[in-house]
Formats: sequence, C-alpha cells, structure tokens
Amino acid sequence: MAGRSNIPANNSALIAIIADEDTVTGFLMAGVGNVDLRKKTNYLLVDNKTTVKQIEDAFKEFTAREDIAIVLISQYIANMIRFLVDSYNKPIPAILEIPSKDHPYDPASDSVLSRVKYLFSADSVASDRR
Amino acid sequence: MAVATAAAEVVLHHMGPVPRVEETSNAAAAEAELEGDDEEILRFMDSADGYLLLMDSLSSALRQGWLDLASARHSMGASRVSSTLFDHKEQSAATTLQVVYPADLPPSESNPHFSLSKWCLKEESNSSDIVSAQDSATTKLRYRGSAATPDSSNESDATTAKSSTGVDVNSQVQKARSKALSVFGALVSPKLRTAQVSFETALELIVELANSRSAILSSFSQINRGA
Repeated sequence: MAGRSNIPANNSALIAIIADEDTVTGFLMAGVGNVDLRKKTNYLLVDNKTTVKQIEDAFKEFTAREDIAIVLISQYIANMIRFLVDSYNKPIPAILEIPSKDHPYDPASDSVLSRVKYLFSADSVASDRR
Repeated sequence: MAVATAAAEVVLHHMGPVPRVEETSNAAAAEAELEGDDEEILRFMDSADGYLLLMDSLSSALRQGWLDLASARHSMGASRVSSTLFDHKEQSAATTLQVVYPADLPPSESNPHFSLSKWCLKEESNSSDIVSAQDSATTKLRYRGSAATPDSSNESDATTAKSSTGVDVNSQVQKARSKALSVFGALVSPKLRTAQVSFETALELIVELANSRSAILSSFSQINRGA
C-alpha cells in the first residue's frame, strides 16, 4: 500500500497556465497551483502591463520544464507569440489553446488544427508531387 | 472446327489467368494500401472532430465558471476575489496529471495518454478499489445464498465498509476544496464554490482535449510518413 501511494507522487505532472486573471483564478481554485522552493509558480497572469517578452519567457520556461505535462494558454495570448507556439511540436508538454472571456475560440488559428488545413490544402498536395 | 475452338479455349485458358493474377494481386495491394491510408485519414478526421466538440464543451464550462466567479465577486466585493490574494508560499499542486507512454513506440512518435488525479486522489485506483470491494461483497453474498443461511449482519457490514470508503474520499475532497478556497476567506460565497466545480469540469475536459491532441498528432505523423 505504501508502494502504491508513492507511485502518483513520482509520476505526477503539473498543468501550467498562461491566461488572464479570471481564468488563472478559476484554475487555481481547482487545485492546479504549484509554488516550488524558489518561489517559481506554474502560472503566468497576463494583464495590460505584461510584455510579450515576459509571455515568451514564461512559455519557453514551461515547455522546458520536465514536471509540466500540459501548458494551457489563452488563444489571444498565443496569437501574440504565434511563431513560438506554431514551431513547437513536442508531444509533452502538450500546448492547448483555450478560449478567454473576451476572445471566443477560433479553430482557424489553433496550431493543432492548422495541421488539418495543411493536410488538405492544395499547397501540401503540390509540394508532395514536386 | 470443334477441335479448333476447343484448342483456342485451351490457349485462352492458359493465356488468360496469368496476367489476371498479377493484376488482381497488384490491385489488392494498392487497395489495401489505400484502405490503410483512408483508415488513418478517417482516424485523423475523427480526432479533429472530437477535438472541436470537446473545445465547444470546454468553452461552455469556462463560460459558466467565469459567470459564477463574477457573481461571487459581485456578492463578496472585488477586493475579496482577486489575484492579489494568491498564496505565494511553497505549495504543491493538489490536482495533478498522470502521463502514460505506450511502450511499443519511440518517444518522438509516441502519443502519451493523460489522466487527471484530482485533489491528490488517484481516481483510477480508487475506482478499482471500489470495484474489488463490490466483487468481494457479491462473492460473499453468493456463498451465503448457496449455504441457505441468511446472515443480514455480514451483509450490512459489507455495505457500511463500502460506503465508509466513499464517505472518506468525499470528505477528503471537500476538505481539499475548502482549503483551495481558504485564500479568499473562511466564509465564501456559494457562487465561488459553484465556480470551483465548473473549473474542475473544465480541467477534466482539458485532459480529454490533451488526449485528443495527442491522437491528432500521432495520426498526422503517420499520414505524413505514408505519403
């Protein structure tokens, strides 16, 4: 039994969040908040004062951390660092673009669904034939 | 004349089947390949469809959560439901993920499977424990039935043991939930609790989305490799 209780602690991974205040507050209420010994959090609250550089740094940090399995990012924030999000193609951590209060979800700009567009677009067929 | 036609038939019989076998084998191979590709593309499209449906459900769950959070803020005051109240002390996440990699694929091509473990409880292990408890209870009942000596006390013991584990888990979850809300004060609006439940639902959907995403990426890489 003791062995079983140890397994989740060793395998458990975190969910990181880059979103607006209400979304971060909600997910922290659901129990995903983590603060380590160096006071590093697994979330970034984005408001008017947050710079694109800060978002980029947080995204790079969360995707490089081994204890994070999913990175949630509001789609309007992902649009600010689209070049980084689109170039990311590792299975873990999984990047998920979520809707935010003021910006509804747009499937056309989601990096995962852009693969569907690529697969069935004329460009990809032409490039394969060449 | 009849001999000539018979001979021609024989020749035709000898000539005919040879190219036909080649054609049919080629056609079968091509068809199998096409079927394999089609299957993979269908799987890919199914995953993409599932992803969109889940995203729709996630949008609804999040909208409900934001609405409840706004109601709680309205009744408690903006200063009492704010990000300035977040606890910055060292703490570990109460809700985490379990990641399982399929063993038969290399890590670059694997599609990992995510499962949620809410409030430090491993849901799967708990459910399997409950199932095993149920199984043991039913085997006991069968044994008693065949012995034809009805013993109600044993039966009630089994049911109370089963329900007590359920109550323990529930009370632990309730404690963990109120601990997560304690940063906003001891007495919080019921709307804040509702918002918490909505965001928990959203988390469950997010884990399903992550699994769907991993299926999409895996199918996509297989289709690209096939092409």
